[in-house]
Amino acid sequence: MKSILRQIVALLLLLAPGLSTADAKEFLLGAELPLTGSLARVGNGTLEGITVGVEIFNRHNPSHKVKLVTIDDESSPAKAVAAVEKLASQGVVAITGGYGSNIIGPASDAANKAGLVYMTSGGVGNELTARGLKHFFRTNGSAGYTKAMAGLFTDMGIKSVSIVYSTKEATTELANDVAKAMRARKAKVAMHPFDPTITDFKPIINKVKLQDRSEAIAMVGYENDYVGILRAAKVLRPATVKAVVGVWSLATPKMAADFPDLMPNVYGTAMLPYPAGFRTAEGKEFADSYKRLYRKEPDYLGQFGYVQAQILCEAIKRADAKGTLAKGGLADEVRRTRLNTLIGQVAFDKNGDNPLFQQRMGQHQNGRIIIVWPKESATGKMNYPAVPW
Amino acid sequence: MTALILQSLYSGLLSGGSYALIALGLALVFGTMKIINLAHGEMVLLSAYMAYVMENRLAVNPLLATPLALVVACLIAVVVYFLVSRISRNRELNSLILTFGIGIILTNAALIIWSADIHSTSAPGFQEPVVLGPLYSMRSELGFFVASMVLVAALWWWLSRSWYGRAVRAVSSNRDAAKLMGINPHRTEVVSFVVAGILASVAGVAIYSTGVIQPALGASLTTKAFIITVLAGIGSIPGVLVGAVLIGVVEALTVTLYSSAIQELTGMALFLLVLFVLPNGLFGAARRRG
Amino acid sequence: MRVRVLIPLLVIVLYGVVPFALAGNNYVMSILVAALIIAGVALAWALLGNLGGMVSFGHAAFFGVGSYISAIVTMKLGVPVFAAMLLGGAGAAVAAVAVLPALRLSGPYFALAVLAYAHIFKILATEFTTITGGAGGILGIPTLPRVLGYDFGSKVGGYLVIVTIVLLFALVYARIRNSYYGYALRAMHDSEDATRVVGVHSTLLKALMLFLSAFMTGVVGAFNAHCINFLEPDYAFSSGWTMLPVVAAIFGGYRTLTGPLVGAVVVYTVDQLVFKSLIPSGHQIIFGVLLGVMILFAPDGLIPLLAKKLQWVRQPRGCRDPRTESVC
Repeated sequence: MKSILRQIVALLLLLAPGLSTADAKEFLLGAELPLTGSLARVGNGTLEGITVGVEIFNRHNPSHKVKLVTIDDESSPAKAVAAVEKLASQGVVAITGGYGSNIIGPASDAANKAGLVYMTSGGVGNELTARGLKHFFRTNGSAGYTKAMAGLFTDMGIKSVSIVYSTKEATTELANDVAKAMRARKAKVAMHPFDPTITDFKPIINKVKLQDRSEAIAMVGYENDYVGILRAAKVLRPATVKAVVGVWSLATPKMAADFPDLMPNVYGTAMLPYPAGFRTAEGKEFADSYKRLYRKEPDYLGQFGYVQAQILCEAIKRADAKGTLAKGGLADEVRRTRLNTLIGQVAFDKNGDNPLFQQRMGQHQNGRIIIVWPKESATGKMNYPAVPW
Repeated sequence: MTALILQSLYSGLLSGGSYALIALGLALVFGTMKIINLAHGEMVLLSAYMAYVMENRLAVNPLLATPLALVVACLIAVVVYFLVSRISRNRELNSLILTFGIGIILTNAALIIWSADIHSTSAPGFQEPVVLGPLYSMRSELGFFVASMVLVAALWWWLSRSWYGRAVRAVSSNRDAAKLMGINPHRTEVVSFVVAGILASVAGVAIYSTGVIQPALGASLTTKAFIITVLAGIGSIPGVLVGAVLIGVVEALTVTLYSSAIQELTGMALFLLVLFVLPNGLFGAARRRG
Repeated sequence: MRVRVLIPLLVIVLYGVVPFALAGNNYVMSILVAALIIAGVALAWALLGNLGGMVSFGHAAFFGVGSYISAIVTMKLGVPVFAAMLLGGAGAAVAAVAVLPALRLSGPYFALAVLAYAHIFKILATEFTTITGGAGGILGIPTLPRVLGYDFGSKVGGYLVIVTIVLLFALVYARIRNSYYGYALRAMHDSEDATRVVGVHSTLLKALMLFLSAFMTGVVGAFNAHCINFLEPDYAFSSGWTMLPVVAAIFGGYRTLTGPLVGAVVVYTVDQLVFKSLIPSGHQIIFGVLLGVMILFAPDGLIPLLAKKLQWVRQPRGCRDPRTESVC
């Protein structure tokens, strides 16, 4: 009986869009993301969130139908510019996109030239917002990561930290920002840049162990770097270290599953605990839709993607209601956004940055990820001092 | 400071062991056929992926994947040989471009099959520390270092003592004369490719067990192997070992004394220096490159 | 006879038909511009291979140096963009001085030595933060300027500039190839000693070809920087700037003049418009297949193959051997 009911509901849901589109206004929303190439994984993750965001918006707003047009930028700046131009020629009202500051930079330049709003969550570089483009918006800047990392260290009472960072662009910038913040708090900071191709981190960690004798290791890199650093640290066991803290792509369920022996007690930025627990109605709806579409738990990429799509869709609706959409009023409408979203408060400044953004820090504990910073978002107690070895 | 330098020498030595394993296959084929197999790094990489597949699908110890990796690497090696031997003219340069193409095919095949995600073993015990006085390493690193030393010794013995090994050296020093002596040069060249495949398969399993793999890794492995081959000079097995350890130690010392940001630079600079100043490498037989 | 008809026709199509036919389609236009950028590098690469007898696996080195120098002199010294592009080319040629010792090396060694330079230049660009902006790169590089009321910064403007650059380079290449030195250079492939006897300074000529090839690559790199308005070490020195031109030149035929150009346009556009949609992730596999097939079955490349098939080649003017004659 129950299953028949469910089938009927499903049938109605299937029919509903068909019925409502008859009088729904359609808007094209462009998505330019790296679906292939070196950034394929993060690009696809973000796209999943964007798709969910658009789907939920359409469900709640039968009178408006946002249609997503996606182009792969192949993790290449030139292709991203071409993609933006193609989207512009197809008549999209805005572009949601981009991963990696090096790709977002030229792509959003092209969008700005075409007078299209460009919204991203995938580039933390300060130089992006320093341009002061009228049509550029981003939900999360480097500052939010610096705040979280430095904030966690401060709460721990860390007096000395060794920052081990990749010489790539976003990592160098964040490492320098964290160093500045920590020095301002009178902590001793040692910097260890590394070439992105290296695999043996023992010589670096040995410097941390014997020369720096720091209380904490801050890792600013990517997944393969974290694995290398943690393995080296597990071998050398620097005795003074009380915490190992990383940034993106670290406090994720995937890392917990793939490297169960390396992750215990490691910290990383995390918007979500794992297993994901959403307390708000909005969060629950997002997680349900996500699971239905992709048969997996949502991750932080999906969450950011969802929020950037949500902000754009809402602004499109408002601009359309005021009749300013065709006259380039979307940028002003996005700038008026004041939302409490799944990633926290969002409000844009004149450069399109979201100064309210603040990352959260999670800690790997027994195969789960517990949010431990800031205190108001914490889902559990932090293990400190504690290291993976 | 002494402890730092000791550790970096030790780390460099261990890295050098696995570099040697990768470089030997390239050097062997280079010695026999004057062909630089630019797909060699990809052969190593695919062997590493075999270890990943075995561990991930069948939940077995990656070491047990060695036979499968062996088959795959040798198969690729034979196909590469077959294709290269069909080049009609200017084999030295055309083989370079052909194997470059094969490398692109293999890298992208890995990308299509396994995506760009990183992989590494999660088998217990591999990453346990081994402490020898002031020297630290992972168990797997030390194990594969010993394995690579054994393989180097075996290869050296094979080349100098066995009939096939001598045939390989004969073909490498004078193909026509070897032919007159009753050696089938084709068969000998196939054998050298297969031996390169064997070395690559062990190197691949070693990389998966000690480090992190991803599709783009192949090309950088080839570059490193070529650099070591140049340092060694053609036709010197001990030279490859010394060259590999030298690169490993120089990299580790750069990190310790200055910064890891320029460690690739010092490796490349060393390579160019040897190329320009010692055209025969550190141990090569007298043969001009110009 | 045919050449006399073909060249003006080509010029009319490139300048008169293409810009107007595609002006409305920015996407196709930007693919075309990207293909011509590859074509320019492929031509420079083939020049070094055909006339200098050197196969390089590191042209990304010159591409990157040219783009960085042009970007820096426009932004820090205020040099006009077109002049800066020439300086970019000159800078790449100066960088080639560092490569001179490699001229003594034979084939494979030279090829991979240049690759080492590409790596070294990339690391230097990352480390010299004050000049290059380090890993963060340079954003907001000036676009091509407005000259006499015409905006070269537009898509069509950019297309006209790169078409002109590539055609000029092709002209220079053709002139050199058909000169006394061109013959001497090509004779050098067969026997360096013989040419030395005839009184040609082979090393000097090879060095000049290296400088010229580096200059061309640098100018194209500079154009790309002003087109995309952005640079970072990973992008400017990306191995793709080496790989694609090699594929294009081998596919088209690197001993011909038209081969690298046709190869670049065909390979790049077909890859973008067809293969990218067939194999979203890893479609570059097709480049590897192309290289293998061409080396094994048509080592002279597509253009000589077509020429043979279509009997374009007339008997006089020594056209029988595609290696020595290929204006055809």
